[in-house]
Order: sequence, then C-alpha cells, then structure tokens
Amino acid sequence: MKTVFSYTKPYSFLIGVALFLMLLELAVELLQPLVIASIIDDGIVAGDQDTIIRLGLVLMGLSLIAFLSGVVNSYFASHVSHSFSFDVRREVYGRVQSFSLAMFNKFPASGLITRLTSDVQLIQQVLYMSLRIMLRAPLLVIGSMVMAFVVNAQLAIYLIIVFPILLAFLYVMVRKGVVYFSFVQQRLDKVNRMVQENLQAVRLIKAYLRGKYEANRFSEVAGALKTDTVKAFRIMEIILPILLFGMNVSLLAVIWFGAFEIQGGDAQIGELVAIVNYAMRMTGAFSMFSFIIMAFARAKASSDRIEEILLAEDGGEELDGATVPVEEGTVRFDDVSFTYPGTSRRVLQHISFELAPREKLAIMGATGSGKTSLLQLIPRFYEATEGSVSVHGRDVREWNLQELRKTIGLVPQQSMLFTGSISDNLSWGKEQAELPELTEAAEKAQIDETIQRFPKGYETRVGQKGVNLSGGQKQRLSIARALVRKPSILILDDSTSALDVKTESALWAELDKEQATTLLVTQKVRTAMRADRILLLEDGVASAYGTHDELLNMSPLYREIAQSQQAEEVDEYV
Amino acid sequence: MFDAIRRPFGYEPVLTKEDLKKSPDKKNERAKNWKSTLLRIWKLVDEQRTLLIVVLALVFISSAMALLGPFLIGYIIDTYIVPGAFEGMGLIIGWLIMVYVLHSVSLYLQNYWMVGIAQQVIYQMRAGLFGHLQRLPVSFFDKRQHGELMSRVTNDIENVSSTLNTSFIQVFSSILTLVGTAVVMVMLSPILTVLTFIIIPLMYWSIRWITKRTGRLYKEQQKAVGDLNGMIEETISGQKIVKAFSQEDRVMDEFLVKSERLRRTGFWAWTYAGFIPKVMNFLNNGSFALVAGIGGLLALNGSVTIGVIVIFTEYSRQFTRPLNDLANQFNTVLSAIAGAERVFAIMDEAEEADDTKNNTEKRLEGKVEFDNVSFKYEGAEEEWTIRNLSFTVETGQTAAFVGATGAGKTTVMQLLARFYDVDEGEIRIDGTPIGEMPRETLRKQIAFVLQDPFLFEASVSDNIRYGKLDASDEEVVEAAKQANAHDFISKLPEGYDTVLSGDGSMISQGQKQLLSIARALIADPVILLLDEATSSIDTVTELKIQEALERLMEGRTSFVIAHRLNTVRKADFVYVMELGKLVEAGSQAELLEKGGLYATMLADAKL
Repeated sequence: MKTVFSYTKPYSFLIGVALFLMLLELAVELLQPLVIASIIDDGIVAGDQDTIIRLGLVLMGLSLIAFLSGVVNSYFASHVSHSFSFDVRREVYGRVQSFSLAMFNKFPASGLITRLTSDVQLIQQVLYMSLRIMLRAPLLVIGSMVMAFVVNAQLAIYLIIVFPILLAFLYVMVRKGVVYFSFVQQRLDKVNRMVQENLQAVRLIKAYLRGKYEANRFSEVAGALKTDTVKAFRIMEIILPILLFGMNVSLLAVIWFGAFEIQGGDAQIGELVAIVNYAMRMTGAFSMFSFIIMAFARAKASSDRIEEILLAEDGGEELDGATVPVEEGTVRFDDVSFTYPGTSRRVLQHISFELAPREKLAIMGATGSGKTSLLQLIPRFYEATEGSVSVHGRDVREWNLQELRKTIGLVPQQSMLFTGSISDNLSWGKEQAELPELTEAAEKAQIDETIQRFPKGYETRVGQKGVNLSGGQKQRLSIARALVRKPSILILDDSTSALDVKTESALWAELDKEQATTLLVTQKVRTAMRADRILLLEDGVASAYGTHDELLNMSPLYREIAQSQQAEEVDEYV
Repeated sequence: MFDAIRRPFGYEPVLTKEDLKKSPDKKNERAKNWKSTLLRIWKLVDEQRTLLIVVLALVFISSAMALLGPFLIGYIIDTYIVPGAFEGMGLIIGWLIMVYVLHSVSLYLQNYWMVGIAQQVIYQMRAGLFGHLQRLPVSFFDKRQHGELMSRVTNDIENVSSTLNTSFIQVFSSILTLVGTAVVMVMLSPILTVLTFIIIPLMYWSIRWITKRTGRLYKEQQKAVGDLNGMIEETISGQKIVKAFSQEDRVMDEFLVKSERLRRTGFWAWTYAGFIPKVMNFLNNGSFALVAGIGGLLALNGSVTIGVIVIFTEYSRQFTRPLNDLANQFNTVLSAIAGAERVFAIMDEAEEADDTKNNTEKRLEGKVEFDNVSFKYEGAEEEWTIRNLSFTVETGQTAAFVGATGAGKTTVMQLLARFYDVDEGEIRIDGTPIGEMPRETLRKQIAFVLQDPFLFEASVSDNIRYGKLDASDEEVVEAAKQANAHDFISKLPEGYDTVLSGDGSMISQGQKQLLSIARALIADPVILLLDEATSSIDTVTELKIQEALERLMEGRTSFVIAHRLNTVRKADFVYVMELGKLVEAGSQAELLEKGGLYATMLADAKL
C-alpha cells in the first residue's frame, strides 16, 4: 500500500530540478568564504589591489547565479507542493467516498475534515520547505564541514567531535515530537467536532439557553488543545539551545587549538579565519535545524493520520458486478438477519418476504424495531449478516453497486439537501435531467407550486446556505429528487411525516401511478392500507406479514393499532 | 517562452494586470486592514504583559550574547592570533563559554514562555470566536455553511498559531540585532557600515512589489480552504444520500474543482512569497561581496584591519539573518494575517443585544398574545412568511396549529422563542412584549421539541440532562420513564451511560425523538413548543407519549404543530394557517360546524 510521501513520485523530475537549483544556490554560498580567504591571503596580505577587485566581482557574479536559481526554485517548489497536496486530497477524498457506511462510525466527519485540510496542509508546508530551505540546513552543515576539511583538515576535526552526540540527541527528539504532535491533531479533531455539533444544533442550544454551557465545554476542549500544543512545542524548543551550545563550544576548540597550530606553523591565519567563518555558518544553519525538526515531526504525525485513512481495513464497497436485472422490480428477502458491524445485537432476525414488480409493501413497527435497518439492506448500504437480499432477481452482492443504486429512489427519514440551487438538488436523481423532467417530478411530489412561488423558482438556493424551507417542503423536495430518476424501486422511510393530510393524500395518489415497486415505512394504518401487503416488525422479528385484512385477523398488535387509529377517526366524525 | 513564465505549469494567473492596477484606492484600505488585524492580535498578546516583558528581556540577553560572541572572536584573532601572543587567551575563552551558556539558556527560556503566551492568545481567539458564535442570532447561521465556519475556528486560527509561536520572537530579536549590529558596525568602520546599509532601500522596494500581490492571494487561498471545507463537511455528513443516488462521481468532480481552485491560488501565493527570501539572500550576498571587496581595498591602505573585515562579513550576515529567517516564513505570516482577518470578520458580526442584566427568575404565567405580527426571513425577497397574525392563548391552554407545509407554523414558534425578531406588530407574554424581555428570562420558560431531534455526542443521561444541567440521576430516569424512553435505554449496552455516536446511528429516529421529549420534560417549562414532535413515533408508543404529554401540558401553555388529528383533537383551540395568515380559529367543534378549511381538511383525511 502507498504511503503519503509516495505521492511525490510523479514529480520526481521536478523535485530533482528544484533540489539541483537549491544545491547550486548553496554551492555559491559555500564558495564565498573561500573567496574571502583568498582576498585576505592573496590580496590584502600580499598587497595586490587587482586581485581584490577581481575577486570582489567574482563574489558579485556568484550572488547573481544564486539569485536566479533561487527564483526559479520558487516556481518549482510551489508547483510540486501544491500538486502533491492536490493529489493527496483527491486520493483521501476518493477513498472516503468509497468507504462503506460502517467506516463513518470509526472516522467521524470532523476527523475526516481535519485530515483533508489541516493535516494535508501541514505536510504540504513541509514539502515546500524541504524543496527550498530545509535541505539547505543539513547540506550547509555538511558542505561547510567538507570545505573546512579542504581548508585545513586538522583544525576541522575539532568541529566534528560533537556531531555524533548531537545526532543521537536529534533522533530522540524527533521520535518524541511525532507522538506529541499526533496528540495535538487529535485535539484539533475534537475542536472541529464540537463546532460542527454546535452549528447543527443552533436552535436547540438557544432554546435551552445553553450558550454559556457550550462555551464552557468548548473552553475545556480548546484548553486541552492548548495544553497539548504547548507541551509539544516546549519539548521541541529544547533542541535549538543544545545544538547551538554544542556548536559554539567546538568553535572555541577550533580557535584554541588553531592558535597553537599557527604558532607551530601548521596553519595560516587566513585558514583559521575561513574555518571560523564556516563554523559560524554551521551554527546559523543549526538554528534553522530545530525549526525543521519540529516541522518534520509535525508532518510525520499528520501523514500517519492520513495513512490511517488510506490504509483503513475496509475493502470499501465492492463495486463490480452484474449490471442487468433479471426480473426488473422484484425484491426478495430470504431469511435475512442483520447485525450492525462492530455491535453484537441482532437488529433483524430471519426476515423473509417477496415483492413482485409494482407491488407495495408497508412496513410498520415500534420505534427501534428495525424498519430503517431493513430498508438500508436494499441499496446495500450494509450487507445482510445471514440470508440473502435479492433485487431485480439478483443477490445484491452480485450487483454492480452503482447500477443497483441507480434503479432505486430513496427518500430518507431526515431530508438532507446540499448547497446549491433547487434544480441542482433535484438533478441528483438524474444527471443531465432537463427542466421539464424536474418539474414533472416536483409536481408529483406536490412541491412544484411552492417552487414556482419563489422569486428565482428552480434556481433558488437551498441547503446550509439556502433559504428557509419548512420541514414539509424539504421532505417533498427529497421525494421529488427520488422521483426524477424514475426508479423501479422506491423506498420511503417515513418520509411524509411533516406533510399535512391533504398534501399527503395527493402525494400518495401520484405515487400510486408510479411504475415502481414501493417499500414504505409508516405509522398510519390508513397509509399502510394502500399497500398490497404489510410487514409488522417487533424487535427485529417479522411478527406478522400479509394484507390488511389478514393482519387484522392474525395479529393482536396490528388489531390494537388499527383500532386505536380507527377510534380516533370515528371520534372525528362526531 | 514569455507565456511559460507567465503561466508556469499551466497555471493561469489569479490576479490580472488590471486587478493590480485597480489597487491604488484599495491599497490604503488593505494597509489599514492589516494594521487593525495586527493591532487586535497585539492586544491579546499584550494581556500577558509581565510574561511578555520577561520574554523580551530574555530576547535582549540572547541577542546581546549573539553579538558578543563574534565580537570576542574577532578580538581574539586581532589581539592574540595575528600577533602570535597567546598570553591571557584562556581567560577570554572562559568568558566566551559563559556567553554561550547564557545565550543557550536565555534562548530556551524565551521560547518556553513564548509558546505559552502564543497558545494562550490562540486559545482566547478560539474561545472568543466560539463564544461569539453562541451570541449570534439564528439568522446568521441560516446563510452559512457549517464546514466553512468550522474552517475559521480550526484552519484559520491554526495559521495564526504557527506564526505567533515563532515569528513574534524573531521580529523582536531582529530589531534588537539590527540596532545592535548597526551600532557596533558604525563603531568599527563607518564606511563599511554604509556599504552594508545600501541594501535596505532595495529590500524595501522589492518586498513592497511582492506583498502587493501576496496579500490578496493569501486571502483568496484561505477563502478557497473555507469553501472546500464547507463542501467536505456537507458531503461527508450527507454520505448516505451521496451513496443512495450514486453521486460519488459528481461529488468528486465538484471536489476537484474546489480543490483545483485552492491549488491555483495557493501556487501563486506561495510562489510570490517564495521570492522574498531569495531577494533578501541576493541583496545580502551582494553586500557581502561589497564589504569583502571594498574592505579589502581599504585594508591595503591600512584604514581597516583584517579582524574588522572578518567581523564585518559575519555581521553583515547577522544583520540580515533575522530578516532572512523572517522572510523565509513570510508565507506563514501572510496566511496568518489572512486567517486572522477572517476570524475577526466573524467577531465583528453583530451579536444579539446583550440583555442579561435584566434577567429575572420570576416564573411567568404563560398567557401568549400575538398582536398583528408580520415577519419575513432576512434576504427573502418573497412575500411575508407571517402576515398580520393575531391571536391569544390563555395560561394553561393548548393551541394546535394546522395548515399546509410552508404555511408558517414553525415560524410562529421560532418567533415566540425570539430566534428571530418580528418585523411588525408585537408578541406579548403575560402582557409584556417579548422584545422587552431578556432572551434568557424568556427562553428559560420555554421548552422546545424540534422537528429534527438533535443529540450530542455524549451519554444518554447527559443528553437528557441538557434540559436541566443540575438534574439528579433519579430525575433523569424519571423524565425518561415519563417519555417512555426508559425501556429502550435500559436495553442499550451501557444503559444511561451509553455514549451516542456522532450521527446517533445507534438508535432509531423515533428513539431520538423520545430522548428529545425527555429533555423537554426535565426542563419543566411554562410554555411548551412541540413541532411535529410525534411524527416518527409508532402509534402504540405515541399513545403512551400522548398520556405523558397530556400530563406535561397540564398547567402549561402549549403550542402544538401536528398533522395527526388525534393530537389536534385534544387542543383547546385550533388555528388554521395558510400562506402565513390565520384563516380560521376556534375549538375543534366550532371549526367543524363552520364547515370551512379545517372541515375540508378533515374530510380529505378520511379519503
């Protein structure tokens, strides 16, 4: 499986160019002290004015080369890092889209959002820096070291003595940093989660006057984020002072022993000056080092989190399979039992029924009896644990998932609309649907009139950013969305609850004309009577199955429900 | 060739030449924006002045030590090494070790405390933003995407955070180092100092050229992040719909368009910002060459020593290094400012007026009057949502609202809870206009059961306790029993301590509603608002709930929206609404007798 950093592969060439330009820039910088040493030894000490001017111009020329390489490097580094993060985002988002629904319990939305934005951004930042400056620091250190050896190996040895200790120290610190920064990102998830929750529940929080309570709760979450961030950074901040001290002490060693060597005639003053100059550059590079280590530890923590998504143990949804129905419009449950992944309670037990094309099945039952769970097996949101679910004469597991779902019109309990216009939302049912198709569906769903009343009609914006739609309006839009695709199977999960009686009966009259096999969840016997058969669920078990009349005879529970609702209607005549 | 430079890798420029030309009038505004943004951040930083002063003192020490180090080394070279007289050199080296120790210790401590200061500021910004969100009117949220707002609380503030951690100290140490080096340089050699300073105006001009572009580009970038975030949040929360309609490809396409926009704005922003350190480096190297070349010539006639040249080349580096470090982080600084601006933009949104001073604990009676109330949603061009609505509900009565969807029933309740303020007319409770009543006093008397029951990611008992924070465990269980939720809660794996997951998928929609009813029960309100509260509950359970609700409604003024006629039947008054207007009102019997809209609706229902 691929790691996050393997996404840099397509850009290997460009990365190579960027790094080359960076090296060029660096090489120029490293040559400078050498030229200066030469100015001192060959120019000033020898009293040669021409050499000084010539070398001065060489220094200028070198600067120009460094500048041009640097500017071009900017383009390359920026392009590579942005394209890389674009690719990673696409990959992660695509992966999330292919997740089975069970995975969303493991990775809540807020965590996925942080990964797709904050985590990707952190890695992008580090990649960009590595292409520009990060490698500079280590290379500057190595380069200065080499140059120092070229100038005078004996003196240079004093510089290198502390290196192994410093490297071991750095290694330990990075390991620690990764752990601490991954805590920080987890805290960020929680902050995200809380904000999301609060945005979703604005009215509830206001109604219960919990603004301050929520603010306090948030303070705790944000406070924990603060504490962990501070902890992580404080540990990382130890690096720089220690590195600097180590380097400075070895610089002193160079001067101390250099002095004796000059006295003994083994070294020249210019050489000592050059080495001191290199040592100071190394010290400067080290101050960048702590910054790099910190960024690297952070990026590592983030890339681990992204890999968690990319490598998640979820086959995703098996997409491939048959695309052609055997008997269009049939639905068959054969001894189906179902347990939600990761839980132990069976929510459905041994359910069997069969629907011929254009038949209607009403599902009734107490809340929590498994009605929604049953419906979710049909578009294969989840797979049956035992038994088999067949749609259009084929086991759903044999179906090509996209093709299967294309034949199904689902209207969920909670109508969810997306940012965009009404026609955008309706065309979810069928891409490239023409306006007449949309209006036709809207008419059937009893919402066309309402839409026409909006000043912008079908172009009115809805969703989180949109106009205030009433609950009933949202439900009807969501029904229209399902009808646009002219489904051969229609699933209505108690989706007319917010409609008034008149609208509802007009809607049912339209739905009766639809050429679709229909499964509907309802609480109303009157609605259930419209169906060919009724399935009564009790704690996941089909306690009764048959026509209205059969159930009246067969099931005491159904009788009770029917009587209670009829009593109510009789009352109303009074 | 020219095109390759203008559109590298096929990136269209985000800002056209015309855009840049347009800037003169906008430039001042932008500069002012930056200034006020920085000032606001500074105010937060300034709250920890004592610690800040300590940090600054430490920066002073470490900068002084950083200057003293090379100075002493130059001194050693000139005094001991060049003449070859090493007497007393050990002592100076001893001093140098002291300097280095002090340098490292002060460096560590300043960073240690600075991180604390910075994160405290970030914490305050975050908590402040969140607290502010709590005080914004509901209408604010109607127009915004959740993910986009989330992006401000996390991504934008994170940007500020990473900058404050490091850049703050750098700015100070740069200034100190600049001043310090300048002084020492002038003392050592005025001519070489002037040579080093030649680069300053050049730096200024080039940075101005660049920031003219980057400022706007970074703003665009943060906007693109927010948009992308909004889209991600929506599609991940609505994943089931995406799957049901097999719209993965469409969602992916939209995602790629938004992601591409982020790539494009980001590319240009970073590219331009990336020029800054390169320019600095160039000027820096140039002055280095000048110092070495001209310094060398001066050394020939003896006006400067070799030691001075060595120190100068180092100082000219030290002089620009802090600026350089800062320039290298320039893009984080810029995106931090862009982020902070977006955060402050929300903080500047008008809050609901603060009326908490006038809070009273007095329990209301619960007589509700609507007097010629009209209302329309902000930004809605369409006709009034509520038009000239008048009615009175006496204490303890139950009023049922019926009517087609979109008739304005939910709006009536939202107005009563003052989620929105009426445009015309007046709503009174016990004779006091609610506009004059503190929101807290008002809402304390009201309990809401909303259409879409929302549960928090918390335990079942915490969710119920939301209605009354100090409720005992017994009260929670009692409320659950009354709402008929106790049975199913007991069957959950950990009973009342079961933590409901984010989308509450462990329990059914109906069960969620039971919990939200329990939550309303425990709040013990004077006025009860039930919006389709029983829609997803099966008839058997509903019967039991009806009993509970009847008990609950006793002695309380209740507003009920329901399409179930058995709920309506028990109301004292029925109000029939159509397109925001009240068309019929009266008791069930009166309305039936009248044979109007309500009677027709009932007849329809029998079909």
